[in-house]
Amino acid sequence: MAKSVRIALEADRPYAEAAALVVRVRAGELFSHAGRVLDMSDIEAVHDMRVTTRRLRAALEIFEPCFPPKRFKPVLRDVKRLADALGERRDPDVRIEQLTALAKDLGVRDHDGVRTLIDTLRIEQAVGNARLAAALDDARDSNLAGRLLALSEQAR
Amino acid sequence: MKARVVHDLDGAEPLADNVARIVAVRVAELRSFVPAAFDPADVTALHDLRIAAKRLRYVLELTGEPCVGPHAKRAVELLKELQEVLGEVHDSDEMLPLLAARGGPGVELLVARLRVHRAERFAGFVVLWPQVVGAATSCLQRDDRDGVPFLSAP
Repeated sequence: MAKSVRIALEADRPYAEAAALVVRVRAGELFSHAGRVLDMSDIEAVHDMRVTTRRLRAALEIFEPCFPPKRFKPVLRDVKRLADALGERRDPDVRIEQLTALAKDLGVRDHDGVRTLIDTLRIEQAVGNARLAAALDDARDSNLAGRLLALSEQAR
Repeated sequence: MKARVVHDLDGAEPLADNVARIVAVRVAELRSFVPAAFDPADVTALHDLRIAAKRLRYVLELTGEPCVGPHAKRAVELLKELQEVLGEVHDSDEMLPLLAARGGPGVELLVARLRVHRAERFAGFVVLWPQVVGAATSCLQRDDRDGVPFLSAP
């Protein structure tokens, strides 16, 4: 499970200052799992990056009023796109795990129907992986990490 | 589910004052899906409740300790547990139509098992809810908590 950096916040710190700090830290974590995320033999990396992305998205939404809307909206949209691609890749992982657990003591004959379904989910996994690769490329090409850092500096 | 808008947030004001406003709205949002979510067939209410729990949890995880106080930690634990239980209900709701559409050897048995699993997790939610709503309400400031009736499972 992805552990996030604990951010020391004080109750009397101005909301905008907290916004800048939190978004800067969470933005720095965003791509920390990206190196392993397309490895389909390691489904935990996708889960970890998804959790990291969710935390970043949550931070953006909590502090939204502190940021200029014209800068904020495209950044949030791109974080959501990345989150959606991670979700599309993760969903078949979860379903395969769920099916495998449900079917663990089925007889050999009964397993055939389940195996066919798992094969279909493996195809969905591969399609999800290709879409995730494209989403990661888009995030890098559009300098999402840099735009997040720039946004954090504009908190007011 | 679109999040309810939190009004009167101000970047120059202390974090704690803003967090109090956010938490008040998020707790109200969480509570608004009950009693609808006590209907096991109301898949939308259950899904929306899970999202509302996630939103409140993330606010409390990030700001609870300095801005809300010791109640926040317990609320975060219970909200996480609620998310997990409702997540399993949701996963079952997504999987059941896939299985039903496919049929074939073994699949009918899986559908039956999954329905039992879903019913168990739903029952877990109903049992957990009073603790969750109690812990979430304890994170409100006194002014926000006054007059809020305590909701319990049916």
